[in-house]
Amino acid sequence: MHIPDGYLGPQTYAVLDAAIVPAWWFAGARVKKTLRAKQVPLMALAAAFSFVIMMFNVPVIGGSTGHAVGATLIAILLGPWAACIAVSIALVIQALVFGDGGITAIGANCINMAVIMPFVGFYLYRLIAGDAPGRGRRIAAAGVASYVAIVAAAIAAGVEFGLQPLISHTASGQPLYAPYPLAVAVPAMAIEHMLFFGFVEALMTMGIVAVLARQDSGLLEMKPAARPLRWLWASFAGLVLLTPIGVLAEGTAWGEWGAAELKATLGFVPAGLEKLGGLWTAAMPDYAPPFIANPLVGYLVAAVLGSALVIGATWLLAKLLSRKAGDTPSGPVSPAA
Amino acid sequence: MIPALAHISDSAPRRRASRSLARRTADALASAVAEVLANDEVASRPGLMQRLDPRVKLISILGFAVTVSFVHSLPVLLAMAVLTVALAVASRIAAGPFLRKVWAAAGFFGVLLAAPAVTAWITPGTVLVPFGPASITYPGLLVAARLVLRVAGGAGFGLLVMLTTRWTDLLAALTAMRVPDLVVATLAMTQQQIMSLLRTVENMHLARESRMLSTASAGQDRGWVVERMAFVARKSFKTADDVYDAMLARGFSGAVPTLSRLATGPRDWTWLLVSVASCAAMLAIDRMVFPA
Repeated sequence: MHIPDGYLGPQTYAVLDAAIVPAWWFAGARVKKTLRAKQVPLMALAAAFSFVIMMFNVPVIGGSTGHAVGATLIAILLGPWAACIAVSIALVIQALVFGDGGITAIGANCINMAVIMPFVGFYLYRLIAGDAPGRGRRIAAAGVASYVAIVAAAIAAGVEFGLQPLISHTASGQPLYAPYPLAVAVPAMAIEHMLFFGFVEALMTMGIVAVLARQDSGLLEMKPAARPLRWLWASFAGLVLLTPIGVLAEGTAWGEWGAAELKATLGFVPAGLEKLGGLWTAAMPDYAPPFIANPLVGYLVAAVLGSALVIGATWLLAKLLSRKAGDTPSGPVSPAA
Repeated sequence: MIPALAHISDSAPRRRASRSLARRTADALASAVAEVLANDEVASRPGLMQRLDPRVKLISILGFAVTVSFVHSLPVLLAMAVLTVALAVASRIAAGPFLRKVWAAAGFFGVLLAAPAVTAWITPGTVLVPFGPASITYPGLLVAARLVLRVAGGAGFGLLVMLTTRWTDLLAALTAMRVPDLVVATLAMTQQQIMSLLRTVENMHLARESRMLSTASAGQDRGWVVERMAFVARKSFKTADDVYDAMLARGFSGAVPTLSRLATGPRDWTWLLVSVASCAAMLAIDRMVFPA
């Protein structure tokens, strides 16, 4: 996932290089506040650990091996802000000392692997593991979180690649940088990581969390998340408020055509689709509640209702899972373990 | 001088398929350590780039890397890729090994990623070799060649910094360029700890290799690797505590003293002027002589 120089045009790498600076500054301020004077050796060791973990070959299937990034694991161990700095330092050293990843693309690589990955991984881990998780739930949470986090980072890289033909091309339309459009770049990056690297990351993170939970559970104590839920809820509310922008987009998402649109495009409606199309009538088709006339307000209300349903279902599921797991907290470290 | 240990991968050649996971990983780790040590040796040679002030070198190379990203025409991109080789040779780095490093760092994946772009499926246009949707097109070849040359040029300039600058000089340059002491101290410590952890992990793998009588199953390998990773995690955090105690004991004040004394001379200013002029000339030729 290390993007070398040359794949991203100046418009993209300049924006991402500029975007990573405030992230580093804020991460530095947070780490300084929570870790204080210990930050230098701890960050250095975490960065070194991040670097070295990328050099471990993990056997997967058919004799093949892959390596993990470890950003979610470091976020679980140190918190997301510290992980942001540690992984960034590892990436800068990889670029400057080992020639892995480009100099102009440092911002892009850090946004993908040192911001998106640890933050997605950490908060998903917190969401699934809860406040006082048992060993099994903690391991499962680490696996799911690390898998989703690396796929999210890969999709971000795919979007960065896929934007290039749109942003920079010759007068005749030839792409000047990464040549693949979003429709190719995003699935290519996502599928590769969903089928292979995601499992390597999850396997490694789950394994290390399992060993640490058995041998040194103190390292897995829940880190102060810097009022994580407040930030999460604020960002979430902001996104919900922005949903009416979706109404401005014209046309239907690719592959989500209804019978009428297919009829208009193809001249006929496939028999199976016609037969099954009317099987279920949604309560709010096209995200338009029937009781609201204004499409913008309707879209917003649909977003609020939909989000409430998803949160409610997740909360119920988490409650059920925690009851089933019995929530046996991990005990003290056994010297013999 | 590179210690004998660093040459493990060269001195014990075996067929790749027959090597165990432990051996393969140990070889990769040994070659990573060897690479760093070899880079320091190359950076100490009396070549063109090595004689430059590291601040001037960093700024000029960054200028070249940015220029490569703005250039679109194949002849100018090719000229910039050739320039990296010329600068490497002038810095007493043999062209062959330099090109191999460029190929390993970016060239191979550049070609691999660019290959589908030559087809009509991705880049439609005048067909040169007909083969249905996989027909090779003229615009496709242009797109792929541009990507490969740009990636090779960018990687070449990046490698020039890496190969001609000692790590301590790079840190001194960052300090002089007002990068916060905290960041420089962390970078310095990280590099040392990376080397230490690489040695530890390499020894773990070699120890396992020496104890193995037969090949382990993938499941056994996986279990062992995960256990060792967890050990490295615990060792890292334990070492962080020890290093912090040592820092306190030695009165660490937050500043990072360095023995490297940086001073710019006429050579540095001449180089900076030549670099700026070269970048401007490349851009001018690209825009005026070969407009996209």
